[in-house]
Amino acid sequence: MNQPVRTTLQKHSERLVPFVGRGPVDVHRRPRQVALRVGGVVALLVLLLVAGQVLDIARLLTLEEALALAAFAMASNLLIGYGGLVSFGQAAFFGIGSYTVALGWLHWQLSFWLALVIAPLIGGAVAGIIGLLALRSRRLYFALLTLAFSQLCYVLAQERYTFTQGANGVIGPMLPDSLIDPRHAYLFVLAVAAAAALVLWKITTSPFGLVLRATRENRERMQALGVNVFGHQLLAFVISGAFCSLAGVLFVVYSQSAYPELLDWTQSGYAVYMVVIGGMFTFLGPALGAGVYTFANQYLAQHTSDWQLILGLILLVIVLFRPDGLAGLLSPRPWRSAARRLQARFGQQEDSTTDTTDPDRTTGELP
Amino acid sequence: MTALLRATGLTRRFGGFTAVDHVDMEVQEGGIHAVIGPNGAGKTTLFRLLTGLVRPTEGRIVFAGSEIGGSRPHKIARRGLAQSFQLTAIFPRLSVLESVQAAIIARQRHTRDVLHWTGRSTTAEAGAILDRVGLGAASGQLANTLSHGDQRALDLALALAGRPRLLLLDEPTAGMSILETRQTIDLIVDLVRTDGLTVLFSEHDMDMVFGISETITVLHQGRVIADGPAATVRADDDVMAIYLGNAVRERN
Repeated sequence: MNQPVRTTLQKHSERLVPFVGRGPVDVHRRPRQVALRVGGVVALLVLLLVAGQVLDIARLLTLEEALALAAFAMASNLLIGYGGLVSFGQAAFFGIGSYTVALGWLHWQLSFWLALVIAPLIGGAVAGIIGLLALRSRRLYFALLTLAFSQLCYVLAQERYTFTQGANGVIGPMLPDSLIDPRHAYLFVLAVAAAAALVLWKITTSPFGLVLRATRENRERMQALGVNVFGHQLLAFVISGAFCSLAGVLFVVYSQSAYPELLDWTQSGYAVYMVVIGGMFTFLGPALGAGVYTFANQYLAQHTSDWQLILGLILLVIVLFRPDGLAGLLSPRPWRSAARRLQARFGQQEDSTTDTTDPDRTTGELP
Repeated sequence: MTALLRATGLTRRFGGFTAVDHVDMEVQEGGIHAVIGPNGAGKTTLFRLLTGLVRPTEGRIVFAGSEIGGSRPHKIARRGLAQSFQLTAIFPRLSVLESVQAAIIARQRHTRDVLHWTGRSTTAEAGAILDRVGLGAASGQLANTLSHGDQRALDLALALAGRPRLLLLDEPTAGMSILETRQTIDLIVDLVRTDGLTVLFSEHDMDMVFGISETITVLHQGRVIADGPAATVRADDDVMAIYLGNAVRERN
């Protein structure tokens, strides 16, 4: 009786594993493409700067939240997309960043600017400890271990009432005077998020970034080439944790509070969600995913109580039809590649292999 | 010539099954050494022992004067022992050029470098290696779009990027066309003659084994049943009976 159930599960997991394991693919870039990409990024930055001046405060705050979550998603994608390490515990580091600011202010009157520097260090250190244990396992077991460790952090934040104020969270005037004006706060979040993105981009294009992707593709081969893969994946885990913490600090600028849900596994799930709908094959895809998630969340919640159902349907459609995410729609011939993918999905059975060789994926990449 | 690699009493058991059984062998520096034997003779396990992917149950492995038995794979690789895999081991979704660049970065020990760009110091060398294995024109392709023979060539390029002293090739021409086999054999001979590399390979193709190897070790059920210069091994009665005899029988 159990047999058919097991095989169905297996079939699904086989379909999912290559999907979540896939990640950014690089090809040689022509100068015109490079110019287009640089132009696109500059245009995006100008647009975000202008938005900071012209948007009404409510929308500006949503955009500010989206920027903090974009930094969170990009930092998570260093593991998920580039490293092929699907962590379900990145919220722990995000929350640690937020709580560093809040608890520092609550207990020690710690300056926000100092917390901004310390938070990534704490996040990175905790990531080092968790990574040391979780990276001993692979795939599903790695995901489950990261989930378990982040839930441990969540429970600590929830239960240690005297230190963390428990489920109430920490709320109060923890921001410096210069960040009280929402437009200033927005510009600050934009600047730090952009700087974080730049550093993360530099890391992904460095020799370390290539080694990380190569290890994702073939771990045993990388070992045979003389690379201590565990050490490198641990370094990636620490870097990702540090940047997730930094994103957590940015989130405090938006929320002016820290609460246990920031460390909960659902928060980790949102990171994976943003990475998947935005596109883990591209550097800026997760940021796009964060934007879509935040605004959809905001506006859907105003109109329907079933907003989570709609977000779920969006995810379903993307996983089935556009595994390269919304960023894949920015490829020069999105409909042709989508049609080909549909054909691959329903025309023949060996869909996962046809996906990997789709040349259109590589051209749809953002810088 | 001196022994670059020496295994003494090398044994590996999996539960009750002994895959490699007290193997003694020496690989001379600068030579081409073949390991042959029927399927299941323990060739692949022997190779995995030498490269550290499997830990020995008993016995010693000395490579270039140091004991490497039980060391971790990346430590052994750093000493100059590289391998090309029987089941092609490439990086499916990296480009051909990036794959070789990754291997060069691994050799240079720049794998933790986050400050430089990938291309700067590695592109020229990667191009030269790809030209050597005949993949110069394919450097922009994703590795998983290559033909089987070209993937094997890329696998070899990855091993060469480590500038090894000893190259282990597990059935280097399996699944290749006649032309690709010819090119691979020429390349192996050239690497040994010109670059002074030492090659240890396993192979089923007897024409290739007797065509290029100087020394041959014959494995059967995990044990060495013959070991020595190619001509001696060819004349050995046990080998004829156990291995070559089978091959002749199969052909008829």
